Amino acid sequence: MDKKLNLKLMLWRQNGAKDKGKFETYKVKDIDVSMSFLEMLDVLNETLTREGQEPVAFDHDCREGICGACGAVVNGKAHGKLKGTTLCQLHMRHFENNETIVIEPWRAKGFPVIKDLVVDRSSFDRIIAAGGYISAKTGSAPDANAIPVAKESVEQSMDAAACIGCGACVAACPNAAAMLFVGAKISHLVLLPQGKVESKTRTGNMVHQMDKEGFGNCSNEYECEAACPKSISVSNIALMNREFMFSKNPPKP
Amino acid sequence: MLKTIHHFQTSIGRKQVVATTGLMLILFIIGHLIGNLLIFGGPELYNGYAAFLVKLRPGLFVIEGALGVVFLIHIFFTYMLIHDNVRARPKNYKIVATKSERSFATQIMPFTGTIIFAFLFYHLWDFTFTPHHGAQSILRDGKDYGLYGLVYNAFSDPLHSTFYIIAMMCLGFHLSHGVESFFQTYGVTNTKHTATIRMISQTFGVLVGWSFSMIPVYILVKNLSGN
Ligand code: FES
Repeated sequence: MDKKLNLKLMLWRQNGAKDKGKFETYKVKDIDVSMSFLEMLDVLNETLTREGQEPVAFDHDCREGICGACGAVVNGKAHGKLKGTTLCQLHMRHFENNETIVIEPWRAKGFPVIKDLVVDRSSFDRIIAAGGYISAKTGSAPDANAIPVAKESVEQSMDAAACIGCGACVAACPNAAAMLFVGAKISHLVLLPQGKVESKTRTGNMVHQMDKEGFGNCSNEYECEAACPKSISVSNIALMNREFMFSKNPPKP
Repeated sequence: MLKTIHHFQTSIGRKQVVATTGLMLILFIIGHLIGNLLIFGGPELYNGYAAFLVKLRPGLFVIEGALGVVFLIHIFFTYMLIHDNVRARPKNYKIVATKSERSFATQIMPFTGTIIFAFLFYHLWDFTFTPHHGAQSILRDGKDYGLYGLVYNAFSDPLHSTFYIIAMMCLGFHLSHGVESFFQTYGVTNTKHTATIRMISQTFGVLVGWSFSMIPVYILVKNLSGN
């Protein structure tokens, strides 16, 4: 029952954005199979700290698959080999004893490495700021159900809203494109009456910001959908493409 | 005007250019294929069709020139997209693995595209700009069969045929991802239709690849069996 794993980790270490970075090999022993991947890294970090070495930096917050903070490319796959799972929800029972695990940060120009496995995803925030919002009256709360919404729109919008902004789509895309993320954010708002106010400019503004952040261009390989911990559909990219045709481009700076 | 230029400097704008030019090339390929298949109707029908096309010149030159430009735009915008894509990931992963059912055709798009580009020149030199009468058009019975004879003799050479078949397989692969991509880029795809569109795209690619290849295969087999 109590299976324990001994593992070899090939981990990307990089001290800041300027550092070139390199792989370092570590051994971890007696890893409980019911541990999560992040807990396994905790074990490694405890050992490193005890030995007076610098622990590995990695992002995490909720550790229950809902916040979007965690993420690394494990053996070439974003969030590891399981589908619809974040790294914090990937358990060690999916690994073999004596396995070598290669762990890398998200690699994209739009996601510069801050340290080790931690990348700067503020580019996503800037894309949201460019158009991922609605205008709402604050103060008195509107009556619930005052605005009728078609069931189908609600469902599509809610599916898109499941995006936790982890960045796995960019990490998994062969072109480091952010189109699934941006597509999801656009679908989320544009399908609802509340999102209609800005719908003329939203897509143009967000796509321009996405390009400015240095993300690549989608070549319809759908690697993003497969890597997405929330399994968000690439049909959101199609919707974004459609919206973009009718959207105003922002004035050139 | 400036606004339009601005539009085509964006990622999606460029993708739309590639999709639109791709669609035009697909229409051309369908037309070309139908013309080619006339070869099964015998030398008279086939040469008649070729003569008909020649008669349409010089008007046809305009269309052919426009197609050439479309082809170059398709390549140029693809090049720009790839150029950005390479820059979007300055450092590559040590291990690249896939989690999706990403098709083989998708992964080799730039490769099949390059082969088709090279093939076009060879093909023009081979059939369009070679005289359609003379030694190369004479079949076994000693008569000059014009373009029909030229094509027949060319494909009687197994090496020559093989090369064409490989190029047409590349075209098939290219289209099997291309058609699907067109629908995605123009936002037609949604969760309900994705599977159908993918099936149409792959069927179309296979169909085009095989239909073009049928001609050299037919001639080769006919030749080997001695008639
Ligand atoms: S830590 Fe919140 S999703 Fe993994």
